[in-house]
Amino acid sequence: MAERTQLTSISEDNFEQCLKCSICTVYCPVSAVTTAYPGPKQAGPDGERYRLKDPHYYDEALKLCLNCKRCEVACPSGVRVGDIIQKARMKHQGHGPKLRDMMLASTDLVGSMATLVAPIANFTVGLKPVKAVMHSVLGIDKHRTFPAYASTKFETWFRRHAQQEQGRFMRHVSYFHGCYVNYNYPQLGKDLVAVMNALGYGVHLLDKEKCCGVALIANGMYGQARRQAQTNIESMSTSVTRDRRPVITTSSTCTFTMRDEYEHVLGLDTAGVRDSLSLATRYIFNLIDEGKVRLAFRSDYKRHMAYHTACHMQRMGWAIYSIELLRLIPGLQLDVLESQCCGIAGTYGFKRENYETSQAIGSGLFAAVEQADPEVVVTDCETCKWQIEMSTGKRVMNPISVLAEALDLEATAALNK
Amino acid sequence: MRFHTVIVGGGLSGLVAGVTLARTGKRVAIVSSGQSSLHFNGGSLELLGALPDGTAVQRPLEAAASLPEEHPYAKIGVSRLPQLAADAAKLLATVGMPMQGDVSVNHYRLTPMGVAKPAWLTMGDYVTLERPDVLPWNNVLLVNVAGFMDFPVNFVAHGLREMGATVRVEELDVEPLAARRASATEMRAANLAKSLVSGSAVSRLASAINEVAGDNDEVVLMPAVLGLDDDHAVTMLRAQVSKPLHMVATLPPAVPGARLHTTLRHYFQMLGGTYLMGDTVQRGTFEGNRLTGVHTAKLADTVLQADNYVMAGGSFLSRGLMANYERVYEPVLDLDVTAPTDRAQWTRYGVFNQQPYMSFGVSVDRQFHALKGGEPLDNVYAVGSILGGHDPVKMGDGTGVAMLTALAVAQQIIDN
Repeated sequence: MAERTQLTSISEDNFEQCLKCSICTVYCPVSAVTTAYPGPKQAGPDGERYRLKDPHYYDEALKLCLNCKRCEVACPSGVRVGDIIQKARMKHQGHGPKLRDMMLASTDLVGSMATLVAPIANFTVGLKPVKAVMHSVLGIDKHRTFPAYASTKFETWFRRHAQQEQGRFMRHVSYFHGCYVNYNYPQLGKDLVAVMNALGYGVHLLDKEKCCGVALIANGMYGQARRQAQTNIESMSTSVTRDRRPVITTSSTCTFTMRDEYEHVLGLDTAGVRDSLSLATRYIFNLIDEGKVRLAFRSDYKRHMAYHTACHMQRMGWAIYSIELLRLIPGLQLDVLESQCCGIAGTYGFKRENYETSQAIGSGLFAAVEQADPEVVVTDCETCKWQIEMSTGKRVMNPISVLAEALDLEATAALNK
Repeated sequence: MRFHTVIVGGGLSGLVAGVTLARTGKRVAIVSSGQSSLHFNGGSLELLGALPDGTAVQRPLEAAASLPEEHPYAKIGVSRLPQLAADAAKLLATVGMPMQGDVSVNHYRLTPMGVAKPAWLTMGDYVTLERPDVLPWNNVLLVNVAGFMDFPVNFVAHGLREMGATVRVEELDVEPLAARRASATEMRAANLAKSLVSGSAVSRLASAINEVAGDNDEVVLMPAVLGLDDDHAVTMLRAQVSKPLHMVATLPPAVPGARLHTTLRHYFQMLGGTYLMGDTVQRGTFEGNRLTGVHTAKLADTVLQADNYVMAGGSFLSRGLMANYERVYEPVLDLDVTAPTDRAQWTRYGVFNQQPYMSFGVSVDRQFHALKGGEPLDNVYAVGSILGGHDPVKMGDGTGVAMLTALAVAQQIIDN
């Protein structure tokens, strides 16, 4: 009996595979800059042994975990250290979310309201007295600038200006645009549509899209996260099975959340959609690699850029797709920066109590950006974009926007007719 | 996705093979399931410390002639060892990791337990001894950081006293290291090193050391808690401390090994190499005796295709080899493994005794082609700790085998 057990036993999150080698502790960006956090090994598998005996051992300091998953990337034994920590928070966290955390996490609600009155909202949250009140009353750090809200949502633009012509293509994809594209930066969505159309692909919205829920999970709003996740899984499943359309994205964090956190943290079944959900750079790279599409670049395009690998991009192991795609651009000199955390981690860095930690974590990356001194930093994560723009003054672009800028869209469209 | 060579495993042997190939302009990818066992390395590389019967070795190149034919050095050919060893030292200097040591005669490194062990190359700032039982100093000042537990200072002091020195132990209670005590679980060498980067932090440490250093102290030894990314902090500290200063490796994760890993990886990436950290090769596709592609957990349907594949996944610790109650196996390609089928013969009584499983490994021919189903594969090689035929713990030859087999195979791939 024992012999058979040893052949088959697999523990949740590979918990029992932890050798106590401590390599994860070398790569934790949080414990590198603060002693308030017990570190990934103690917060994760070591602490879990105690918590299994008695929940009393739960340590509130686990909220300082960024959920960057760099411990999981470093682990030679495949232990899902970050997932163990997230689940411990979900199971044991003593209190519900604060008003501030609910506001930061409710991206759909706040975004929908703000886009209605975008100029006023953008103006107001930029005012010094408003920032001071948000800082002292709500605990949203005064150094932060809220990403500006767009006056027209991406979905609205798409329905008005793009939807109708998508039917003329032979091949089709669905686009999970995410909150950032919808409420703050529709241009990235427009770039995605332009690039995919040039490649001969029609782009479609999902039947129903909700915020992926990454901020809800981070802020302890698990019930709402699960409901939104179920809506997204259903919509994606419809796209994949009914419409035969794979789902592409332009945000590494939304992608990671839906592919991995839904299953590992929220305990949802994503088997029917996971393999059909991909970051657009990966989808496009594979099309090129398989010889299904061809690209034509502008001959006058000359830029110097630096690629930053976001934490969740590193965890997914997909930076190679964005980097290889960018390397195809003839006029682009691309520096690949050492992969390290920028410190923002979604809503984490917006909180007053985390501001200093957040900037200390990012300092290595900021120095690397300054040293490379590119015209533009490229990254697949929108919150890294805010952090790098605020902390280095450099412009930050998504690889898809770079591609839209570098491609000769008409010539590319002609190649892919 | 196409490469000239795909290397499975990103530790010492994988990186050495990768750098060697990438330097000739080849397109190379390394896939690494997490960080490597180099993080256990204390700043020294070893060529050969003892023969299989336990006889201590002083002159490794000469002693290699008497190794049994299953030893990886014997497979390389003893006549090629001097050149490969020279190439290895040169490669480390090129990537920015100059080492001290003479290939013709072993020196000795000092372990975190205060024991002298034979070594071939040691990082510049670390303790090296000419003999295992005699120190070059009579009076040693051994300092530790207050509250730092990954440096068993009493063992080190005991070891040094056994070698005839008078040892004084001092604890340093100095910022910013003292603040680290607030987190007992995270007061580790790497985190201390991250606090000791700026000039002001290093200067404060130097002053604290100078304060406790007495006139009689000939040398200061301290745990390796600085220099995680490069040697700037160590160089600054040595310039400011009034006595000669050397590092002693701590318990893992060890700063010198992490630095060696990072330095090699940076150089590989600087050459244009692709390093896939945190991904795992799960299986391969074969056509006859050729491997045509490998699949990873993260890249899913994107197949990594290459002309050559190098298996450098390490031994049991790194999961390059695995065992369950039924068999010892190589988990990626199910390559042949040299190991007895009877489980009772895998281990021997007494954990510190020579253990048979330490010599298990992937079966290879004389060119290090891996065997599968008894036949050598045309384009799959095995290098480093995944190889058997020797006991790296008892023989003190693990890192030497890693570097030399990696260089030999990379050279062979280039020549083809």
